[in-house]
Amino acid sequence: MKSFVRDVISTEKNEKKLRKDKRMRACFFTAALLSSSAIAVIVIFISMKGITPFLQEGVDFFSFLFGTTWRKDQGIYGVGFIIVNTLVSSFGALLLSFPLSVLTALFITKIAPKKLSAMMTTVIELLASIPSVVYGVFASGTITLLVSTLAAQFGLVTAGGSSLLAVILLLAIMIFPTITSLSITAIRAVDKDVELGSLALGATRTQTNFKVVLTSAKSGIFAGAILGLGRAFGEATAVAMVAGNKMFGPTFNLFDTTRTLTTTMLSGLKETTGLDYDIRFSAGLVLMAVILLSNLILNLVKKKVGNMK
Amino acid sequence: MNAETIFHVDHLDLFYGDKQALKQIKMDIKRNKITALIGPSGCGKSTFLRCLNRMNDLVDGCKVSGTIELDGNDIHSTQMNVVDLRTKVGMVFQKANPFPMSIYDNIAYGPRCQGIKSKKILDEIVEQSLTKAALWEEVKDRLQESAFGLSGGQQQRLCIARAIAMEPEVILMDEPTSALDPISTSKIEEMAMELKKDYTIIIVTHNMQQAARVSDETAFFLMGEMVEFDETKKIFQQPSDKRTEDYITGRFG
Amino acid sequence: MMQVNAAVKKKRKIKDACLNAITYLSSGLGAFILIAIFVFIFSKGFSSLGFDLLKGNYWSNNYLVSVEESYNQAGNYQAPADLNEGAAFSSKWGIAFVDAQDQNKDNVILIEYVDEASPFARLLDDSIKDKQVTLSAESGFQVERISYQDENGITYTAGNIMSQNAKELCEALDQADVIEQAYFKTPGGGIRGSILSTLYLILVSLLIALPLGIAAAIYLHEYAKQNKVTALIRSAIDMLTGVPSIIFGLMGVTVLFPVTQLFGATTTNILLGAFTMAVILLPTIIRSTEEALIVVPKSMRDASLSLGANQSQTIFKVVLPCAIPGILTGVMLSIGRVIGESAALIYTMGTYVNDAPHLLSQGTSLAVHIYNIMSSEQPNFELASAISIVILIFVLILNITVKLLSKKLNKAWY
Repeated sequence: MKSFVRDVISTEKNEKKLRKDKRMRACFFTAALLSSSAIAVIVIFISMKGITPFLQEGVDFFSFLFGTTWRKDQGIYGVGFIIVNTLVSSFGALLLSFPLSVLTALFITKIAPKKLSAMMTTVIELLASIPSVVYGVFASGTITLLVSTLAAQFGLVTAGGSSLLAVILLLAIMIFPTITSLSITAIRAVDKDVELGSLALGATRTQTNFKVVLTSAKSGIFAGAILGLGRAFGEATAVAMVAGNKMFGPTFNLFDTTRTLTTTMLSGLKETTGLDYDIRFSAGLVLMAVILLSNLILNLVKKKVGNMK
Repeated sequence: MNAETIFHVDHLDLFYGDKQALKQIKMDIKRNKITALIGPSGCGKSTFLRCLNRMNDLVDGCKVSGTIELDGNDIHSTQMNVVDLRTKVGMVFQKANPFPMSIYDNIAYGPRCQGIKSKKILDEIVEQSLTKAALWEEVKDRLQESAFGLSGGQQQRLCIARAIAMEPEVILMDEPTSALDPISTSKIEEMAMELKKDYTIIIVTHNMQQAARVSDETAFFLMGEMVEFDETKKIFQQPSDKRTEDYITGRFG
Repeated sequence: MMQVNAAVKKKRKIKDACLNAITYLSSGLGAFILIAIFVFIFSKGFSSLGFDLLKGNYWSNNYLVSVEESYNQAGNYQAPADLNEGAAFSSKWGIAFVDAQDQNKDNVILIEYVDEASPFARLLDDSIKDKQVTLSAESGFQVERISYQDENGITYTAGNIMSQNAKELCEALDQADVIEQAYFKTPGGGIRGSILSTLYLILVSLLIALPLGIAAAIYLHEYAKQNKVTALIRSAIDMLTGVPSIIFGLMGVTVLFPVTQLFGATTTNILLGAFTMAVILLPTIIRSTEEALIVVPKSMRDASLSLGANQSQTIFKVVLPCAIPGILTGVMLSIGRVIGESAALIYTMGTYVNDAPHLLSQGTSLAVHIYNIMSSEQPNFELASAISIVILIFVLILNITVKLLSKKLNKAWY
């Protein structure tokens, strides 16, 4: 036997390899740390920038938080009604989209024949992959038309269809694939035995699907709803195309224009310094707080819902 | 310790978290012999095998104490470099696990990791290793094809060839034939008998006939303890421990 | 008894049928919406789609020109044999015009052909006063106005501004003795600049996010012990997924803008957009890489280590090559995300459509270009829809690729 490798192996080189291992590990760890610190950086910097208007530029915090007018031409910044508008439009969208999403998920997982199910899955995937600006173009070309025709039926006039209703419809469409795909995952995760148990007790397939499967999957479906709501809160460009940016409020009339936190942050991005610029960060801070709070509350609700049987 | 001994193990304890997996193992493994480790599943024989080339290092919460000496050097000491150790103690696993590369690259992987780049030398290493693993004739025309095109038995022999390529002193085999058909199994057994001229082989097996067929010495493990370690003939014909006898006569296992 | 049972059964059957029917309805609604979106976008945008759109500039160039003195006279030119049939050729001036419509569907006259010896091939740029800049009229120029003198020395005006068509313009020019001045425009409305910016964005953001994300995923899957620090790192990365993109935009302008200033940036810029996108992409890349790493069997790593490779060799030579399909999936998803992203980029790159973007200039990705169009006073739906089609086609291709890749990943070799 000839030896080729034995003489080449050097302990010194292998020591070096092990030291290199340590360095690589440090590199990988740094990457992980850097990636995870992004969220902290976001929170810290936006908070710092977001509170400067109150600390340095004399904006009153309470009139900001509970204000009902946003007029940058007059320097009045009240975000209170905008928060309400954001909540109204997002929950409105959720109200519309949630039942449809769950039913569609049930259809795909349990009811539809195989081919139809595969087709619908593709439909959902495609809807999920359409960028929000494209939804915006679609909405300002069709939904606004729909809304203004509808308003005309009631003898109302809208601002070219830009309205709360248009925002709700748009957001409902946009969060539909999110909630559906999470619901599908939740329903697929339901234990087969639970289903078989129900069937064995003489319930029909449909009864089992609606009563047993959906209740067993409710925690996952609820998680989908929370995620969908988060998307609705944070959606900016598409909403900006149909909201109409009303300067006071809050808006509860479906045919009236509205203004959400995100559209406020997007409107008139001309300045890059000064109060009008900084106040956007305050709005961003409020947006993050709204998302965080609603997530917390909904997760509490979810726990409650999950516990009762 | 005499010159015949290659591995000297003394007072070896191993814990996974709070669970003790090996208890006070003491064993001298002889050079150029095949040593078989037998025992029921979960008795610690595979864990012991993986201690010998420190493959347990990366397992979360695994603690080893006691001595393991290879040629008189403690493998846990700071002077011992784990990469060095593994080049000396190769390993073959339960399920054939060729890399997703060509047959040639599979064999050349270890030498390349040690910095051998010359194509000529690598060619010779590949040929020599495959010949020793009795695979050369079967694959010499398709060295550049994917290793996954080989049959299960061929894949396992490829893995052995890959270990041989490093010219180790010891080859650890962890149930190398458990996933193979009888013909492939006997090929590998024959090969093991051939290989012990140049290497020390330690083989974990579930199959007692296999242990009896191929090994020179056999150790019987039970619940983390080494119950008995002796010449294979003796273990199978007149075991000194009652538990060993119960196991090899099939009362449990 | 039996009858009651039958009645109950019937009722149950009807109820079941109703319930099933509403699931059909809601799915149908979902499918309808998708179809509606596609029909709307394609019907609005398809006519504007074309190579001119893809490779053209967005902004028009304006040329106010006069003919070089010595060449300013009529001649006798031959129309080329391959001249378009609809074109009107002026044999006196050696130039041909066609009728066309611009992006806004207004009628315009375009130059179809200019003879090499024609006076229109020897023009002086009047908008630059002190320097003599010569240029030639080119096919594709929009003819806004041509003023000329007839043999009596009276000045007339012809061209688009007089609502003429190509034929009328030609006839007018046949009356001309001397060309006084001409005003040409290039068409504009193209999206080449935005396509370029989008490519820059994809390239640079992946260049940053890929190594960082893969390294982080390697740490989390190959090295990290299961302890509190790891859990914290994981949940921090997961939290990024839930942050709305507009917030990333805010982060970009505050945190990352100073970084681009080091490279010499003065305004918001494409590089800043790419940095911001890189942060947005991180969780996607980390997740898909980790999913791919999970699929690589542990025995591969064992085999490599037992052959005397160290851990870095194991990772780079064995584990990562096995994980490539999964990583590619992450790359595809990331590209889709960059193409679709708008809110974060509006903050970090501005909304100025730039025909010659470079990393440190402002520019718009395709999505931001659409936003720019839609937020103007009179949104040009046709152009917005045409760009949407481009985006949708990209996204569709990416989706199909991801599906094929994951199929490959699923029927893996081990």
